[in-house]
Amino acid sequence: MGAEKMMRNDKMSNKVRNLLLALLVLLPSAALSGPSGQALAFTCAGCHGTDGSSVGPSSPSIAAMDPDVFIDAMEAYKRDQRNATIMNRIAKGYSDEQIKAMAWFFAKQELRLHAQKTDQQLAELGEKLHHSHCEKCHEEGGRPSDSGTLAGQWMPYLDYSMQDFIDGRRPYPRKMKRKVDAAIKELGEQAVPALIHYYGSQH
Amino acid sequence: MWYMAFRSPVWIFVFILSLCFLTPVKSAEGELTILGETPPPGFDPVTGERIIPNKRCLKCHGDAHEKTDFRDDGSVVHIYADPDKIKDSVHGEQACTNCHATIDRVPHRQSPEVVVGCVECHRETWDKHRNDPEEKYERLGVVMETIDAYYDSVHALPNKHDQSETNATCYDCHDAHNIGSLGSHQRDEHRLKNPEVCGECHKKQLNEYRESDHGKAVLEEGDSESAVCSDCHTTHDITSPETDQAKLAITKNCGGCHEEAQRTYFDSYHGQVHRLGYTNTAKCHDCHGSHKIKGEDDPTSEIHANNRLENCRVCHEDANDNFLTFWPHGDADDREKYPGLWFFKIFMQTLIFAVMAFFWVHVVLWLYREVMDRIQDKGFIEDLDHPDVVYFRRFPVVWRWIHALFAIATMTLILTGTTLLFAHTGWAKAVVVFLGGTEIEGIIHRTAAVIWLSIFLAHLTIAISNIWSKRDSFKWFGSTSMLPNWKDWDDLKGMFKWFLGRGPRPEFTHWTYWQKFDYWAPFWGAAIIGSSGIMLFAPETTAIILPGWMFNIATLVHAEEALLAAIFLNSVHFFNVHFRPERFPMSTTIFTGKIPIEEFKHDHRLEYERLLESGELDRHLVRRPSRRADLAASFITTVLIMTGLALLTLVLIGVMTSPS
Repeated sequence: MGAEKMMRNDKMSNKVRNLLLALLVLLPSAALSGPSGQALAFTCAGCHGTDGSSVGPSSPSIAAMDPDVFIDAMEAYKRDQRNATIMNRIAKGYSDEQIKAMAWFFAKQELRLHAQKTDQQLAELGEKLHHSHCEKCHEEGGRPSDSGTLAGQWMPYLDYSMQDFIDGRRPYPRKMKRKVDAAIKELGEQAVPALIHYYGSQH
Repeated sequence: MWYMAFRSPVWIFVFILSLCFLTPVKSAEGELTILGETPPPGFDPVTGERIIPNKRCLKCHGDAHEKTDFRDDGSVVHIYADPDKIKDSVHGEQACTNCHATIDRVPHRQSPEVVVGCVECHRETWDKHRNDPEEKYERLGVVMETIDAYYDSVHALPNKHDQSETNATCYDCHDAHNIGSLGSHQRDEHRLKNPEVCGECHKKQLNEYRESDHGKAVLEEGDSESAVCSDCHTTHDITSPETDQAKLAITKNCGGCHEEAQRTYFDSYHGQVHRLGYTNTAKCHDCHGSHKIKGEDDPTSEIHANNRLENCRVCHEDANDNFLTFWPHGDADDREKYPGLWFFKIFMQTLIFAVMAFFWVHVVLWLYREVMDRIQDKGFIEDLDHPDVVYFRRFPVVWRWIHALFAIATMTLILTGTTLLFAHTGWAKAVVVFLGGTEIEGIIHRTAAVIWLSIFLAHLTIAISNIWSKRDSFKWFGSTSMLPNWKDWDDLKGMFKWFLGRGPRPEFTHWTYWQKFDYWAPFWGAAIIGSSGIMLFAPETTAIILPGWMFNIATLVHAEEALLAAIFLNSVHFFNVHFRPERFPMSTTIFTGKIPIEEFKHDHRLEYERLLESGELDRHLVRRPSRRADLAASFITTVLIMTGLALLTLVLIGVMTSPS
């Protein structure tokens, strides 16, 4: 009888041990899976608006943003390679996988634009400059693409960004510099504001 | 005890559950999901890779106003690809990124590495559509063959200066954006551009080509029919021009356009050797030059009269001016241009036709008569109950040896000579390879020729000395004389009457008319084949006294007369001596020197009766050969007959398949 009891106790302890093993495996995998891309993206709404359509003026809209452009930006913030206010600190909190999931989420959101106050004349000059120098990369007037989102983007954000490029606070793509320089050569100091007004005028 | 845990059902549950949480995963439909997100539009739902439409690429690369860009180092790079040409090409429906597979971002974040994997894609497509009946896939099979050829070519070898690169790759020569199907305008354009494409690397050759008649036609007149690099060098099978493979291919390819020139070249000794697969004789480019090829009227042309001898002297070091009158493309069928050659060909062919026609008719009728006689129990039939024990001594030892050596030398000459004459056949190529190449074969042929002529002269010497020693009593038309006489003519007529059943079989003296023919034929042969052979043996010496066109005539008559001898000896002579029913399967008399007395009586009755009457017969009678001597003679005869029949077969194959 004593032996039978001992055997039963052994079986019980085996079951307990197996359950513990199960938990050991389950817990980390559950922890790794974490929140969904959508849930992560919701936390951006505070600055970038609901589903990434910003209400301005200095936080850019990231709805419909090209996912690779989104990832590039987040990576650059993570590595402190891009002039940031708070994004460098925020970006460091996300894994590559989470960033990719958010990128895919925002890419699928509809970009809702808000009318901005623009100078019509300047915008027209900007449009010409755009078609001469920028359209090949920022196609369709700067609609969201692998070159970023310019059309309808918040003008103050565009202004800061351009200054960051020009002043060397943000890596300036060689070809972009060549094109912007050509635009400035063509229209002088008005060139950058003209382009910003053109992009801002689209909504 | 730990292993127990892994056998527990709980563990399986845990394992399955954990799989559900693993990310990224592919959903049931195969779509990629990361943290519940699927790829956005514009990205492949399965791989998550960006899909770059051609339109996006062509925004920059299709802008005809801005065909160049700058690299990071400031150097200019051509980026233009004509959208219309792409659309029109066989690759028109392909996505740019199918070939430019390293491109993942537009605009490019860095100077993109242009890596295009033509082979892999073509191989995959071919594997997929190998059995597809659609016509457009048929050509892919040819592409696969050219790929294999390319891999064996010098272009696929690592570059000497940069081992990480091949000497040339697909897109160095092919403009992939402008590839057309067979017969398309793109192919014409590609042809016209071919010299300049090759000239990108082979600059010296391009400069020489520009001066040539081919180059002027292609590059100046836009004539896509004229020869471009790939016509001679092939497109993908390219090897160093120093290799035999390349030399053979180039000569073959010249004939793609210059058919007549190639035909007449192949009829010459130079061409025959070449056709056997050897390159030690003059080839097209040895005389005409290669890239600088020009017509003979151009004073800078290698075949201009003033320059030609220099080319001859590359091989024929002591060539004199007489070499200039050689016709390298002499055409015996061209009566207007080469009347002498034409005459000799007609003469020789008439001779061959007449001799063969006459004797083959003679053979067929003789066969008919003997068969008919046998059916009627007539004619010479061996008496098995009383086999011959008495033989007649017909040939002394010296004649037997002379015949044996003569037969072996003749067969050797036929074998080695007809390989050249029938260089187009597979057997000729195999024989030459077996003998060790054309040079060895030449040595064998010349050695056999020397033996042949030596025997002929030795015989002549013996015969003349015999006649001289008996000069007082020698009867030129005696019973054992080889000289033809009127009786031969009567016998010939008598034989035809007998063939047709209109008379008895004639009775012959010591030599029948067909035996006399067999005896005298080599005199004619020795004169024709021997003299032409000696001329060809030492061309530089010959040219001291004879004009160059004598080589053309010598080559022609040498071959034609040899052909006649080869066919006659191995058919008519074999029938007359061995195959006619009275003698079948063979007569060994020429090796034993003895003929059964009954057979002698039958074939040479008049001589038998003369000898009997004069009491001389006994002097000629001998015992039958020993069994061993008989076997040896049968063996040698069999070997020679079989060899002769094999040669006859090869020669007839050559004649019947001869392109000219």
